This record gives sequence, structure tokens and C-alpha cells, in this order.
Amino acid sequence: MKKNIFIIALMLLGGLFSGNVNAQQTALLLADQNPRYMESQAKYIRVADTLNSLHGTTIQNTYKAYDWYEAKLERRRQNREWRHEERMNGYYDYSPSWGLYGGYSYSPFLNYGWGNRWGGYGGRWGGRTSIGIGFGW
Amino acid sequence: MKFNRILTVAAIAVSGIFIASCSRQVTRVSTDQTIDVSGNWNNSDARMAADELTGKILGANWIDTHLNEHQGKRPVVIVGFVQNKSHEHIDAETFLTDIESSFIQSQKVRLVQGGKKRDELRAEKADQQTNASVSSMKKFGLENGADYILQGSINSIVDAHKRQKVVYYQVNLELTNIQTNEVVWIGEKKIAKYVKN
Repeated sequence: MKKNIFIIALMLLGGLFSGNVNAQQTALLLADQNPRYMESQAKYIRVADTLNSLHGTTIQNTYKAYDWYEAKLERRRQNREWRHEERMNGYYDYSPSWGLYGGYSYSPFLNYGWGNRWGGYGGRWGGRTSIGIGFGW
Repeated sequence: MKFNRILTVAAIAVSGIFIASCSRQVTRVSTDQTIDVSGNWNNSDARMAADELTGKILGANWIDTHLNEHQGKRPVVIVGFVQNKSHEHIDAETFLTDIESSFIQSQKVRLVQGGKKRDELRAEKADQQTNASVSSMKKFGLENGADYILQGSINSIVDAHKRQKVVYYQVNLELTNIQTNEVVWIGEKKIAKYVKN
């Protein structure tokens, strides 16, 4: 009997406590507020500092647009750099060519097709390739 | 002797001409003047974007709606980030600052600080807690919470062939209610340029 009374008292207390907690939670919620808002709040409080540090700034997420003219200038610049490196490496075979495509084919005979007069790709002159017709000595 | 003098004068004159011809010339120009050099985004584009977007944001009815809903309390705005998704390096601050300035000058919108500047303010406040006199010390927890956040993006389309190029820029700004996520205003500025090299 005593045991039953003790269990009932415990259940009553538990019910009161849970009811109180529930009442407190519902009292904190505003009208139509999602009851699980605390989950989202906890998630974003952790990252707020990182995200908010970008306020008032511009995030640069640019792309490279193809520009025919810019690409041409870039190719020229790269060629100049490459020729300079070649000269620095001791390959003194460069001389301005009158080749149809501005290449480096200065053979005394007509030179057309892929390759160079010094033995094709990767030859002793640094592996230059050329297409076109060359005039020279 | 005479020959030497003539030679010296001639040398000075020649060197003077040489220096003058090689020196860089800099001229102050009006900031309202449009000078296109490369065809890239420049100060005139930033100014045009600022002028148009300022006019649009202050003339839109979101301000009146807010005043009606909040018993005449002016809206508080924070500037978020702008994403530059164009092909050029563009700093949105060049036109955003003009818009912020218009908020303050028009007295229609209140502005709160965000980002690194806000961090600096809080750090200063923290410093005052131990170093400032009690009467002048500023307290934590009394900042104005923003009602709206201003965010944006910059996009571009490039159509180029041989020496001709058409570049199209689009600057978008959006104002969103922080409480409800409702977008209350969208403004855009479109700029198209034809560049011939």
C-alpha cells in the first residue's frame, strides 16, 4: 500500500515537472514560431562570426573570359618569354624568319609540314616545330 | 673655349628635351568626367551604378511600408556582402559607399556597421570595460539590430571576336527582411560597352 502511494506521488511530481517545463517552452514561443527553432539557432551561432566577417566586402568569384585580342597579345608575350629563355639556355639558333607564319624555319629550301630541319621534334635545337615556307641562307 | 660653352649649352638643351619627352604627364580631371581607357570597369561605371541604385532604393515603397508597420520607426539596414561573378576584379565598395552615404544624408534609413568594422567596435567596447571611466564606458548588448540586409552580385557577359568586344555588366542589389527572409526590394544596373581594339 505504502509502495503504491509512493509511486503515485512520484508520478504526480513527474507530471507536474514536465507540465511546467512544457508550459515554459510554449510560453517562450511566439505565435506561429517553429518549436524547433533552437536547432537552427545553435547551428548558425557557431558559424555566425565567420560568415558575418564578410559583411560589407566583395567576394571575388571572377572567371576568365575569352578575348581573341587579349589571347593574341598573351601568345606573343609567351613567345617572347620562351625565346628569351631559350637564349638564356644557350640556344643561339634564333633569328628572325621570313616564314609565312612567322616561325623559325630558315632552311634554304622549302620547308613545309611539321618538324624542323634539324631533325624533327626534340632535336638538338630545343625541339622547335614549325609549319610554313621558309626563306633564308 | 667658346666651342666648349656651346657644346655644354647644347648638351643641357638636348638632355632637357629628352627628359621632358620621357616624363610622365599627370592631369587632374573631374571625377564626373567619363574617360574610357581600356574598356574595363572604371570609376564612371561605379558612379553610374551608385547614382541609379541610390535613386531606386530611396524611391521604392519598402520604406513607407516599414514606417507604417513599425509606427514610424525608421528601418535599420546592414550591408552584407556582394559577390563579384564577373570577369574583372571589381570592388563593390566603390558604389556601395555612395548608397550608404545616401541613407544617412536622406535621414530615411538608419545604417549599422557590420563585418570587420563591427568587430573593431566591439573590441574597442571590450577595451573600455577595463580602461575607460565608468561614466564614459559603453555597454555591451545595446547595439541596434538591423531590420534589413543589403546583398548583391555583379555579373558580366563578354562577347569578343578579333578586335571587337561587347561587354555587358549587371549589378544587382537586394534588400531582404532579416526576420522574415522576404525580399522587399531588388535593384539592378545594366551597363553595356562596345570595345574596338
